[in-house]
Amino acid sequence: MDYEGVPGLVETREAFGETTLVVDPARIVEACTHLRDAEGFNFCSDVSAVDYLGWGERGVAGYIGTRGGRDLHAPGSQGHARVPEPKPKRFAVNYHLLAVADEPRRVRVQAWLDDGDELASVVSVWPTADWHEREIWDLMGIGFTGHPNLRRLLLDDDWEGHPLRKDYPVGGEPVRFSEAE
Amino acid sequence: MSSVIPARAAIYEGTRIPSPIPTVLAVDPAQHDLEDILTINFGPNHPSMHGVLRLIVDLDGERIAGLEAVIGYLHTGFEKTMEQKTWWKGITYPTRVDYVAFQANELVFVLAIEQLLGIEVPRKATWMRQCLSELTRIHSHLVWLGTSALELGAISVFWYAFRERDVILDLFEMVTGVRMHTRYFQAGGLAEDIPPGFYPKARAFCERMPKAVDEYEQLLDSQQIWLQRTKRVGLLSAADALALGQSGPVLRASGVNWDLRKSMPYLAYDEVEFNVPVYYNGDVYDRYKVHMDEMRESTRIVAQCLERLEGMEGEPWIADDRKVVLPPREELHTSMESLIHHFKIVTEGYRVPEGEVYVAIESPRGESAVYVCSDGGPKPWRVKFRAPSLVALEATATCMTDAYIADFIAVVGSLDSVMGDTDR
Amino acid sequence: MAVESGGPLAALGLQSERLLWPTRGPHAKGPGVFEQEVAALEQAVGLTTLGKAIAWAQSKSMWPDTFGLACCAIEMMSIVTSRYDIARFGMEAWRASPRQADLLIVSGRVAHKMAEPLRQIYDQMLEPKWVIAMGACASSGGMFNNYTILQGVDKIVPVDIHVPGCPPRPEALMEGIIRLHEKVQAGVPPAYEIRGVAS
Repeated sequence: MDYEGVPGLVETREAFGETTLVVDPARIVEACTHLRDAEGFNFCSDVSAVDYLGWGERGVAGYIGTRGGRDLHAPGSQGHARVPEPKPKRFAVNYHLLAVADEPRRVRVQAWLDDGDELASVVSVWPTADWHEREIWDLMGIGFTGHPNLRRLLLDDDWEGHPLRKDYPVGGEPVRFSEAE
Repeated sequence: MSSVIPARAAIYEGTRIPSPIPTVLAVDPAQHDLEDILTINFGPNHPSMHGVLRLIVDLDGERIAGLEAVIGYLHTGFEKTMEQKTWWKGITYPTRVDYVAFQANELVFVLAIEQLLGIEVPRKATWMRQCLSELTRIHSHLVWLGTSALELGAISVFWYAFRERDVILDLFEMVTGVRMHTRYFQAGGLAEDIPPGFYPKARAFCERMPKAVDEYEQLLDSQQIWLQRTKRVGLLSAADALALGQSGPVLRASGVNWDLRKSMPYLAYDEVEFNVPVYYNGDVYDRYKVHMDEMRESTRIVAQCLERLEGMEGEPWIADDRKVVLPPREELHTSMESLIHHFKIVTEGYRVPEGEVYVAIESPRGESAVYVCSDGGPKPWRVKFRAPSLVALEATATCMTDAYIADFIAVVGSLDSVMGDTDR
Repeated sequence: MAVESGGPLAALGLQSERLLWPTRGPHAKGPGVFEQEVAALEQAVGLTTLGKAIAWAQSKSMWPDTFGLACCAIEMMSIVTSRYDIARFGMEAWRASPRQADLLIVSGRVAHKMAEPLRQIYDQMLEPKWVIAMGACASSGGMFNNYTILQGVDKIVPVDIHVPGCPPRPEALMEGIIRLHEKVQAGVPPAYEIRGVAS
C-alpha cells in the first residue's frame, strides 16, 4: 500500500503483515486528516503510547549480551540472534486506524516524542480519540494540546505520577509468609 | 403508540455529538442558575449500573440536560502488571479484563503472541477456539440480556437467561476445568485435548438454544412496556457511531454492516456460514434485536464447528514447537531435551521476537484488540488492550440528548459496557 | 476441645476446617469437628433463648447489598438464579440501598479509587452488619499486587468470612454464606466487635 501522500511522513515500515507510518509529531493532525479524508480511514480504533525507557538494557533477545557487552553468566538463548534496535526517542504514540469499507485496511501511525513533549490532539478528526488521549495523559503523562478536557480518566484526580511509565514502580505490597514471623 | 408518550426526535439530520467535548453533555452555566437543574450522582454503587460506573447527571425535571461519566473505579493496572509476568503466565490476566466475555480477551492476546512468534496453530485448535469464542459470545449476550432486562423491570428474563448461561458454563467446565476465566488457550493451540462427552452435550445445547432465544423474545417482544421503553430511545446515527469508534452490536444496530468475522476474518470464520444481523433505527430496541439474532447465529456456528471437530479426532491440539510449547509429560521421563525445554519454558519463559502487533477480534462487545510490543525477551514490553466498553461509554452523551431518566437506564444498558474492560 | 493460639475466633474456640462426610448410613462418622466446635461454642458463649431466637432470625433473612464490582459479581448473580438458589436461605431480597442491607458481599477487586465509596457504603449500613470478602482479590488483592488494587478489603472494613477462589464457584460462595449463618447462630459477634475497627 502506498502512503506517499501523507503529510509529515518520515518512514514507512512493514512487519508481521502490518504497515506502520512514522509521522512527524508536529504535523500529526494534518496527517490524520489526510488519512481520514483521502485514504478513507474513517475509524480510529485505538491510540496507545509506549514508553521505551530502558529498552534493550535487560539483556534480551536471545543473544547472550546487553548493549554493554556479552554476559557469560546470563542464561542461554533460544536461537534468536539480535539485540533489539534502539529507538529514536523515549515515547511513541501509536494511532491504529481502520478503514470501514468494502476493502478494509488497517494502518498504524506512529509519532515519536521525548519526555515533556506534547502532541496535538486529534479529537477534531475522530471524536473517539477523546478518552484514549485522556488515558494516555493519565497513565503515561503525555500532554495533548487542543484537547477539550484533558483530565485524569482512570485514576483519582489527585494522583501523583503516571503509573505506566517505566520509572514508576509497580507498587503493591511484599507478600508475607507465615514462617517468616 | 399511545399519545401520552411524547414523540421522540426523528433519527437525525447532521451530528448529535455534543460539542466542544464529545463525551460530555454540558448545561449552559447561565441556565444552570435560572432553571431548576438538579445534579444527581448515579453510582459507583447503583443497582443498574453495569459494575462500577459513575454518571453525574444534570436533570431538568425528568429530562437529562447534562451528563458526564466518571470511570476508573475498577482500574486494575493490568497493563503494568502484565509487563512483570512472562508471556505464559501473562495469559491468565486478559481473561479478567472483560469478565463477561472472558475468552475473547484471552484469544486476542494469544493470537498476538502467535503472530509475533510466527507459529502455526493446528486446525483442531483453531476450530475449538472458534467454537469456544462463539459460546462465549452467547454467554456474554445472555448476561447482557438478563441484566439489561432486569434493570428495565423485566425481572423474569434474568432467571431464564441465566438458566442457559449455566448450561454454557457446564460446557466450559467440562472442557477447561473451570466455569469462568478459563485459561484454556495457549500460544500454539489449546492447553488440553477436547474431552470425550463434549460433543453430545454441546449438540444438546445447540438444539436447546434457539428455542430458548425464541422464549426470551416471546417474553419481551409482546410486552408493551418493553417496547415503549426501548423503541426510539438512545438514537445513534451511523456516521456518529463510526466517528465515535463504536463497533459490534451498537454499530450494527445503527445500520453499518461491519463485523470483523466477515470483513477481516480470523480463525476459521471464512469457512463457516452465518449471517450478520444489521438493523437501521439505531435505538435500544434494535441493539436488543441484534443481540438476539447474534445468539441464534452463534448457535449455528457452534453446530458447524462441532461437525468439523468430530472429524478431527486424534489430531494434535497444540503446535509442535518445543521452544514454545511444553512437551507432553510422558516424554519428560525419556528425553533429556524435553526436560531441558520444559525447564526453560517454565522458569524463564519462551522468548517472543522483537516487534509490535495489533490484533483485533470481534468480541461480543465489538472490536476488542490488543497492541503488543515485544523486546525479544520472555516478558512483554507493553500490552495495551483496546476496550470496546471504553469506547461505548464515550457514546453515552450522544445517545442521551433529549432523554429522560427512564431512558437513561435503558441506554446505558444497551451500550453493553463491562467496567473491567473499560478500566483495565 | 483444646484452644490454640492465633486469632480472636480461636480464643472463642473455633479452629478447624469442616470436613464433609456422611453422617448417616454405613459410612457415618458422626458430627465433624466443626459441628462439635460450634456446639461447644454455643455452650461457651451461652446465648439466652432470646439471644438464640434473635440470632436465628438474623441468619435466616440476612439481606445482601448489591455490591458487585468485577468478575465475582457475575458468580454472585448466579447464586440468585434457579440452579444455586440462595432464596432457600432467605437471601433473595438483594437491597440496593445499604441502609436496608445486612450483608455486604465485596465481590471483586477493590481499586484505591473505589475504597472510599466502599467504606461509605459500609458506614451507611446499620448494625448488625456482616461482610464477606468474596474471591481472592477482595481477600488479599488476588493476582494483582500493584499500585492500584487494595491488598485485601480487610484493610478498610472488618471482614467476617473470606471466600477463596478466582472466582469462587457459586457453591463456594454459598458455603461461605452458610458458615456465616452458623457463626451467627452460635453467637459469634460480627467482625467489627471482634476486630475493634471503628464501625
